[in-house]
Amino acid sequence: MSDHESEDEKVQTGQDQRSQPSELGINAAIGKQLKAYYEDVASEPVPDRFLSLLDALDKAESASKTTNRE
Amino acid sequence: MSVQFDFRKELITIIPNLRAFATSLAGSFDRADDLVQETLVKAWDKQHTFQPGTNMKAWLFTILRNEFYTQMRKKGREVQDVDGIHAMQLAGHPEQQGHLDLQDFRKALELLPDDQREALILIGASGFSYEEAAEICKCAVGTIKSRVSRARTRIAEILGVEGDGDYGPDSISSQIIGVAPAA
Repeated sequence: MSDHESEDEKVQTGQDQRSQPSELGINAAIGKQLKAYYEDVASEPVPDRFLSLLDALDKAESASKTTNRE
Repeated sequence: MSVQFDFRKELITIIPNLRAFATSLAGSFDRADDLVQETLVKAWDKQHTFQPGTNMKAWLFTILRNEFYTQMRKKGREVQDVDGIHAMQLAGHPEQQGHLDLQDFRKALELLPDDQREALILIGASGFSYEEAAEICKCAVGTIKSRVSRARTRIAEILGVEGDGDYGPDSISSQIIGVAPAA
């Protein structure tokens, strides 16, 4: 399981076979920070510019379909 | 027609994740949203290649990541400069109460090599499995695992160094754990 990739010391857990993200134990604090960092953006509502963009793409597509049909 | 509608709906539910991932890649929020915009256009164009029932989030992340690295290659040095400036901007104003931890963490993330940062985000925040992350990054599962573990070690070192000086790796990690209850 643990390959020859330990360049520096060893990973903090000391047990590389526990490779499930949820079981990183000692890395839990970093995991929390990571989620906070990510959620800082991911929890924001979808900006209008993207909804408008999708509307525009949708319209452009149905317009070209109509044109093709006629 | 209804297939179309669902695609759009699904796409919208994943946009927040795309923005968060894009921010971690691109550094700045503006560049991240430009990247998301490009991704949405690309995804729309090739929606016929998406197989319903497969992981749409992974599919979109792959498109976004490809787009990012294509842009990086095109822009070359300019991007590096912008990133350097941006790293400093993100690192600013740590004195704002409550954001100190997150600011420090952002700064630490910025210091990671791109491949380690993206692996860490995909596994630790986006909720992908190692297998999915490997597929998104087009590398072996073992490579993702090793990048994630090196990234975690490096982050612990960076944050540890900024905290309390040079203790051994063990005391650094326990310092970080000591910080955790604030969240």
